[in-house]
Amino acid sequence: MDTTIFLQLIVSGLLIGFVFSLIAVGLTLIWGVMDILNFAHGDFLMLAMFSSFLMFANLGLDPLLSLPIVVALLFMVGLLTFRWVIRPVLGYPGLIALLATFGLSIFIRNLVLFFVGPNYRVINQSILAGKNFSILGLHFSLSQTMSAIGCVLITSAVYLLIARTKFGRSLRATSLDKDTALLMGINTNRVFALTFGLGAACVGFAGGMLSNFYPIFPEVGLNFAIMSFVIVALGGFGNISGAFLAGIFVGLVENVGGFLIGPEFKYTLVFVLYLIVISIRPKGLFGW
Amino acid sequence: MKRSLVLFFGLILLLGFSPAVHAADPIEIALLYPLTGPLADPGSRAKAACDVAAEIINGSYDLPGIPFAKTQGIPNKGGAKIVLKYYDTQGSPEVGKAETERLLQEGKAKLIIGAYQSSVTKPSSFVAERQKFPYLCAESSSAALTERGLKYFFRVAPTDYHDTVMFFQFLDDMKKEGKKVSKIAMVYEKTEFGFHANEEVKKAVAKSNGAYQIVADIPYEFKATDVNAEVLKVKAAQPDVVLHATQFSEMMLFAKAYESLGVKVPANLSFCGGYQNPVFAKELGKTVENYMGSCTFAEDFIAKKAQLKVLNDMFKAKVKSNLDGVAMEALTAVFVAADAFNRAKDLSPDAVRDALATTELQIATLPGKGVKFDESGQNIWIDSTMSQVVGGDYKVVWPAEWATAKTVWPMKP
Repeated sequence: MDTTIFLQLIVSGLLIGFVFSLIAVGLTLIWGVMDILNFAHGDFLMLAMFSSFLMFANLGLDPLLSLPIVVALLFMVGLLTFRWVIRPVLGYPGLIALLATFGLSIFIRNLVLFFVGPNYRVINQSILAGKNFSILGLHFSLSQTMSAIGCVLITSAVYLLIARTKFGRSLRATSLDKDTALLMGINTNRVFALTFGLGAACVGFAGGMLSNFYPIFPEVGLNFAIMSFVIVALGGFGNISGAFLAGIFVGLVENVGGFLIGPEFKYTLVFVLYLIVISIRPKGLFGW
Repeated sequence: MKRSLVLFFGLILLLGFSPAVHAADPIEIALLYPLTGPLADPGSRAKAACDVAAEIINGSYDLPGIPFAKTQGIPNKGGAKIVLKYYDTQGSPEVGKAETERLLQEGKAKLIIGAYQSSVTKPSSFVAERQKFPYLCAESSSAALTERGLKYFFRVAPTDYHDTVMFFQFLDDMKKEGKKVSKIAMVYEKTEFGFHANEEVKKAVAKSNGAYQIVADIPYEFKATDVNAEVLKVKAAQPDVVLHATQFSEMMLFAKAYESLGVKVPANLSFCGGYQNPVFAKELGKTVENYMGSCTFAEDFIAKKAQLKVLNDMFKAKVKSNLDGVAMEALTAVFVAADAFNRAKDLSPDAVRDALATTELQIATLPGKGVKFDESGQNIWIDSTMSQVVGGDYKVVWPAEWATAKTVWPMKP
């Protein structure tokens, strides 16, 4: 194989892998703290992409400039989801919360379909759109590169927030033992709400950046949601660095494996690896 | 008092049985389309087009070349109005099949129109066939659909076979003009549509006696999140032309990946699918400049047939974009249904089926003479044309009789 093509595959795998990582980090955060698998995660991504598009189409705001608003909006969506959908079912078997998020997913998708319609939307005149550059014969799309860099930065920030701050300690404490954390004076409901908000904000950032180079339509989140479930399981449920590394791993397998074995098998490869990993290490590559 | 009552009831009875006053029962058509799910966009466009057709048939319009426009309703059925009832397939073969069973159990529809995707049309039409119920496919392109020996299945649209024949005639013409065309890359989704498009291309290449070779055979997953590996496969193969059987979402990803990865192929040709969606040309701008594809409707056609402007305006009022080939095929199917109802001796499934089988409808909506089905149920009066994106618009570039612009080959970088 041509060396340039091989390196290009690595680069492409990394660029999409970083985006997968951030989407999965949002999901794994919620799982890690609350033991809830958020089925509406992909729909949060879609909401972020549509928010970005609507601000672009109606207010002329470039997706890069509207990004902080999109992140804040999704943070609010996360908080409200916790308040209205998750909190009422806390304390009941986990399946109830899972079904609640599943219902929320269908609700959000159909709500968008009803109000915005099924049409594909494209943002093709943004600061980043359509700009490409080359380094040593390798081609880069500016929007994908910036998205990847942004996703790495946000993932690192989330990691530091959890590892180094007081909020992070309370979050980890709640994650380890909710009842003891409550006895220690931690407002666990507040931690849960902020965790849901933070998870949604992560996917909000990824969605805002994706809107620069990805078609926007009500079902768009589903494609990413399935992949992020696999990444979370591969990386270890609740493990942020695990989700980050697993995201990169999946991006590379998709691209390099897809090229070498055949693009038609690239998702098969990802799922086969996933099955192998969970059969050897059921808690995922980095789970504990 | 008694006399007045007798007169009153007599009048009611008279009105009730008088054929002049008794309105004909509306005729219901069941339409199977993906109205939610990943293909809700083309499904909704098909729906809007069918609604336009029903408005024209039920109302009165001055549209030369469009049958049933002047009259109101179905003339031979006492002016009965057409009623469209939609069933959402969600883009899923299983749901499409279940919805077909449901609508047949309801027993109100006289005909089925559907179902956009070949993979949904296939099982749903089997259900209809089993119950000996007429099924009119508007736009599914898999050639295999009309090769199953079904008696109640008819298709308006050209197939992947017709598109493939057209592509290779076009490529032959390009060769004659001195263009270098021999190496072909085939990129297709792993669905009924993609597989059959690929089969047709392989057959055509085999028949070409070495004039063409497939240098890359690239199937990919429908609903892909990333297509860089596929595009780098194309790059490695260095083809003269890449053929796509791809829906909109992935077609956009491919176009962006070709651009960002610096892959330059002299020509990019698409089977029907994502390429035809007007958003593709309008919103992707320079990224898809000079892409080409089969098309049964382009704005250019309006210049050739003025009545199409009215149809396009009516459609545009509903979905805020121009008609495309897929929508036009759906629109035409409703007229074919109206024609069959008009000629059928009654509205029983067999009578409607027999009327469909003897269709010879001249209609100015699509390239070609109109609609006439062969024994397999395939429309043999339809032509397909080749369009190219030029400055954000689709321009018909081939064949010469329909062309309004010259082919740009190779594509502008």
